[in-house]
Amino acid sequence: MTPRAGFDPASLASGVIVIVLGGLLLLDQADVLELPAKYMWPAVLAAVGGILLACGLAGPPRGRA
Amino acid sequence: MTETQPTMPQPEPPPRRLTRSTTDRMIAGVAGGIGKHLGVDPLAIRIAFVILTFAGGLGLLAYLICLVFVPVDDPEAPPLKWGFARTVGAGLLAVAALAILVPDWFWGPWLPLLLLAGAVAYLLLRMVRDDAGSHAGRVAARIAIGIVLAALAVGGFVAAAAGSALGGGIVVAGLVIACGVGLVGGAFRGGARWLILPALVLALPLGAVAATDLDVRGTWGDRRFHPRSTAELAAGYEMGVGSMKVDMRDVELPPGRTDLRLEIGIGEIQVLVPDDLCVTTDAEVGVGVVNAGEGEQGGIDLDVQDDPRVAPGVRRLHLIADIGMGAVMVGDGFFDWDGPRGWRGDDFDALRTGTNRAACLGTA
Repeated sequence: MTPRAGFDPASLASGVIVIVLGGLLLLDQADVLELPAKYMWPAVLAAVGGILLACGLAGPPRGRA
Repeated sequence: MTETQPTMPQPEPPPRRLTRSTTDRMIAGVAGGIGKHLGVDPLAIRIAFVILTFAGGLGLLAYLICLVFVPVDDPEAPPLKWGFARTVGAGLLAVAALAILVPDWFWGPWLPLLLLAGAVAYLLLRMVRDDAGSHAGRVAARIAIGIVLAALAVGGFVAAAAGSALGGGIVVAGLVIACGVGLVGGAFRGGARWLILPALVLALPLGAVAATDLDVRGTWGDRRFHPRSTAELAAGYEMGVGSMKVDMRDVELPPGRTDLRLEIGIGEIQVLVPDDLCVTTDAEVGVGVVNAGEGEQGGIDLDVQDDPRVAPGVRRLHLIADIGMGAVMVGDGFFDWDGPRGWRGDDFDALRTGTNRAACLGTA
């Protein structure tokens, strides 16, 4: 199955990860959620790792292969 | 046998004179002439003149000396017509001339930044001037764009950290989410991976600030509080960044518990107490050290609660300290970070656990 033309799965996955991370940070800053350091650091590292993984699995963007 | 023709002696080339160029000039052709004389790109010479001008006016002085003492290469050349670029150049030199009045501001931490700015300006201008397809132009463009992107990333990182620590965390988090939405939207239009960089540049420092509960709102600097009585004693003291020293040795606390709230974003809190005063502590530290009667404890996300048994009627100071990044120290002498013996100098005498326990039990 070939991916749809003009669709970049890495951008989609990265976007979802960034939105989730941004949402967590927003809730923390708004004092809705209290995220201690022992949870915050892993969350940030997991986001960075997830983004790198998504980009690595998806390969280079279209037109640059 | 053939006779070789005697070679005519070649006339010696005239000595290379330093002249001001009439064909490559922005103002008076000094940089053009020097570049031609030294075989260096005149653009680099111009940028060097500008940088040196900010170095106490050295560049401007050198330019004026060359203007007076260096002749032009073609005295018959028509005078220069001033255009936009020359006007801007002369304006910059005029601004630089003003800097001569305050030369000290240049020789400092800004020098590497100014040199970097000069290098970037050179690369960008060279890129604009060169043909689009030239190798040098492409290399210059890549280097310049790389430096600019790195500078933007570092600046964004610092700005996001400062903005978050100054209470703008919600805005920064909103920007992170906006980057995420842009990534998702861009995924269906060929991808928008470039948004990953700004998203991380914003999210990483915000994450660090959130993890350490860093809040630097408030005053900055070194402050010393020395209340002489309970009437002068505030319910709490707050600072953004710096050193807070609270001298409690002259305060006669009433029997029972007296709460004192101390907050600082980045820095240190030192509390001086008399030996016979019972001190209990409830300290939250994002990253740092607490030395308040229970020995020294350091680490990340510290929550130190030193709440020993206290006999009824004993005078007790209960410290409620909140520090984003730094140290809380309780003792009977101020500690000097710059002291001869470093941060474990003799100036600071930490609260001794045994002495404090005895004070809390009323047996001191």
